[in-house]
Amino acid sequence: MAILAGTGSIIEFEPELDRAFHARLSYIQPQAASLSLTEIGNAVSRTFGGEPVVAYFLSPKPDLSWQVALPSGIAYVNQYTGEVLGERRRGETFLGFVRDLHMRLGGGEFGSGVLKWSAVAMLFSLVSGLYLWWPNKQIRVRLMPGNRRRWSDLHNAIGIVSLLPLGLLAISGVILGFQGQLAPVVYRLTESRPAVVSRFSASVHQTGGVTITPDQAVARARRLVPNAVPYRVQMPKYGGVYQVALSDANGGVAGDRNVVSLDSYGGVVSVMKSSTLARGDRVFMVNEAIHTGNIWGVPTRIGAFLATIAALMQLSSGLAMWMYRERILASSAVSLEAIR
Amino acid sequence: MKKIIGIVVLLASTAVAADLSGKWSGTFRAAGADHDVPQLFILKQAGSRLSGSGGPDESEQYPIENPRVDDDKVAFEITTGEWKFSYHLKVSGPHLTGDLELTSADSRRTAKVALNKVN
Repeated sequence: MAILAGTGSIIEFEPELDRAFHARLSYIQPQAASLSLTEIGNAVSRTFGGEPVVAYFLSPKPDLSWQVALPSGIAYVNQYTGEVLGERRRGETFLGFVRDLHMRLGGGEFGSGVLKWSAVAMLFSLVSGLYLWWPNKQIRVRLMPGNRRRWSDLHNAIGIVSLLPLGLLAISGVILGFQGQLAPVVYRLTESRPAVVSRFSASVHQTGGVTITPDQAVARARRLVPNAVPYRVQMPKYGGVYQVALSDANGGVAGDRNVVSLDSYGGVVSVMKSSTLARGDRVFMVNEAIHTGNIWGVPTRIGAFLATIAALMQLSSGLAMWMYRERILASSAVSLEAIR
Repeated sequence: MKKIIGIVVLLASTAVAADLSGKWSGTFRAAGADHDVPQLFILKQAGSRLSGSGGPDESEQYPIENPRVDDDKVAFEITTGEWKFSYHLKVSGPHLTGDLELTSADSRRTAKVALNKVN
């Protein structure tokens, strides 16, 4: 539970921390207009000895650089000038390790099993904590010197104040941990089926056919999913088709689940829109958004972060109560004597 | 005499080396994951040179990169965007089995791969 809470508090702001750790690659001065994807791809390819572009990642904010995936790594580029800011090779970083700890205890099946049952244990401890708190309803913390019950006061106060957010984190964590087992039940209850993107075919070479550029692929995708903004473009050499992923600000938690697949000649292979996602898929997306705090943006992310800190404080105060249990019990006995 | 033995050994090793050309279908499961991921490779071997593509199915294929064939061992990579997949496999008749390392800009995961020759 301590690992879940500690790592959870760090990965709550993973994108921001990652950018802070790579500030020189991430932040740029916004300008009037971006270069085309073709120009950016050519600039990156030239810098890296003619390496082909695997995919483009377009940033959501004007002051953040775009990224270009290459076989050798991820290149960061200023989309207004074409300046290549540098490259990150693939490999585990500190934040990746922390996320792996949070999801799999840094290991495989055993680690993920331990963690999902820890989420169940966390839920159980919240329920049992509420049961123990209920008779006295202690909220006030008596921090005066010599008070042997300050740890239990602290545990009571933080526990009841953070019960709701911690409960949401624990329940959503249990659902995430057991998603595979719960999926059939959720889809049956919502009378839906998992969304399947039917890909009819990959690009088939057409003699004399005119291939489209990534910019033309983006323009076509935007016509198919109006009001959405592209954030990822996969090149057809890598995957067989252009795949343009778009984010719709009005689409809620599923807003970034729009994907248009086009063959090299601009023919539409498939279109997946967030508005057509199955109810069961939405249930899991909402659950994940609750767990990560993304459901209502920054305010709920801060709330989720504070909840993980509260969980760490609960674990610390609970441990202190257990370590000083004899003194606390003696103090209770004295109080009872005084009452008599 | 030594030359003859050498040639015989060389011919024998060539004879037992499996031809990787063809379609290979199977799955991998990343450590800690609760589901298998389908895999389909379409490979072409000419001597020690290997080329082709791989991906989850026939319509989504990524070119294989840095292929290396050494007797019954074969290694190659595919890049799918954020992730690079590095395969280290061993041929045993119509089976290709081994390890897969998946790396992104911040993560590294491992998986076991099992493929069977389709044709």
